[in-house]
Amino acid sequence: MTTIQDDLLAPEVIADPYTYFGQIREEDPVHWNSRWNGWLVTRYEDVVGVLRDHDHFSSDRMASFVLELRPEDRDRLSLLISYFSKWLVFTDPPYHTRVRMLLNKAFTPTSVERLRPRVREIIQELLSQVEHKRHMEFIREFAFHLPVIVISEYMGVPPEDREQIKEWSDETSRIFFIRADEPDRRERSQRGLQHLLDYFEPLIHDRRRHPRDDLITALIQAEERGDLLSDEELLATCTVLIFAGHETTTNLLANGLVALMEHHDQWDLLHENPSLVRPAVEELLRYDGPVKATFRWAKQDVELQGKTMREGDRLLIVLAAANRDPRKFSNPEDLDITRNPNPHVAFGHGIHVCLGAPLARLEGQEAFLALSQRLPNIRLADKPREYHRTIVARALKELWVEW
Amino acid sequence: MPRRLRITIDYNRCVGSGICILTAPNVFRYNDQRQSEVIDPDGAPEGVVLEAAQGCPQVAITVEDADSNERLFPPADLL
Repeated sequence: MTTIQDDLLAPEVIADPYTYFGQIREEDPVHWNSRWNGWLVTRYEDVVGVLRDHDHFSSDRMASFVLELRPEDRDRLSLLISYFSKWLVFTDPPYHTRVRMLLNKAFTPTSVERLRPRVREIIQELLSQVEHKRHMEFIREFAFHLPVIVISEYMGVPPEDREQIKEWSDETSRIFFIRADEPDRRERSQRGLQHLLDYFEPLIHDRRRHPRDDLITALIQAEERGDLLSDEELLATCTVLIFAGHETTTNLLANGLVALMEHHDQWDLLHENPSLVRPAVEELLRYDGPVKATFRWAKQDVELQGKTMREGDRLLIVLAAANRDPRKFSNPEDLDITRNPNPHVAFGHGIHVCLGAPLARLEGQEAFLALSQRLPNIRLADKPREYHRTIVARALKELWVEW
Repeated sequence: MPRRLRITIDYNRCVGSGICILTAPNVFRYNDQRQSEVIDPDGAPEGVVLEAAQGCPQVAITVEDADSNERLFPPADLL
């Protein structure tokens, strides 16, 4: 048994998290990381077990965040704390249950299905803009635009405001993606959030008086057994949706394209069998999904794989390790776009399973369908690929392709 | 007489979001694995059962007419 080094941001871990977390999964599946000061949970069975068990494991990230802050920082960051405490991802039942049920109808597979023709159209427009160039930086010129346009149109954000919102959303995200090299990320995050709130407040006000066929109007009107979202909850929800609709889908597209290019037989198979696109997207999510890990906090002392976690301990739930657990998936290191069933955990599991998953799936399916049909000769350019230094996101900085 | 329903859960898809249980608590409940299970396919009006199935983010719930075997949800293009 080799020793496990505990630097989660080491260059080799960022470049290839699968080897690193795979070693932990096989050698010490519930691993105490003294440098990160928390538990790493890596086996499929344990990952699913923890994510299903919201009675023992909390998602309330703000609770521990606030505890770690000095009193003067708590005052300074009160806006951030107040709104993030209302973001679905950071809340437990009963608040989570209530808001999730109010939001869920807008994101069911049935509801998002009607966006498919428009998603298809956006993709064709984006590809038309670059096709003649015979090369592109895939993230900036394609993968970034698609989810932004889709979520903005769905929500009812005018096209001319998209760029600005993207900037604010990126600022807001700084606190989550733990970019280790940014000491002022909390302040920048709060400033980004303030801009988003200032932007959405009049928009919500407008939709109250002039309802439209968009998501903001739907959220205002969303009602579950006489229950409505409050103004603050509406604002918090708008910011979380615009934020969540940005970076993750971009990374699904970029990581997925790299995986297919590096397994060219699978790309050819998809090109020849477009009907495989649904299982293909599931496999891309499993193989190299956009989110490597998520967090939980132990609500009381609890045992897992013979290790005792104490109340308040934090857990890194390593989705990337679970998705390649040989106890669950045969030949987990192979990319097999025909894999079925494919019970991956790329969208998480349990009550916090990604709300936007049906929309992300739809965008992924249409994007890979269009790419494999329209640019079958696409290939990776001979340029180095670098990932952002974060624990959570599996995010390329740039992805150059040519055809 | 309302028609009788057959409700099937695909355990490779079910992630235990609990949405069906919250929508139709007399039809679904958590099993000991924290996935959904059917306790009574006729425990709610058909409309509520279909709402529960449509609410599933994973399309894990199939609803059929128990007598004619006609599939009421999901439509083929959602799978």
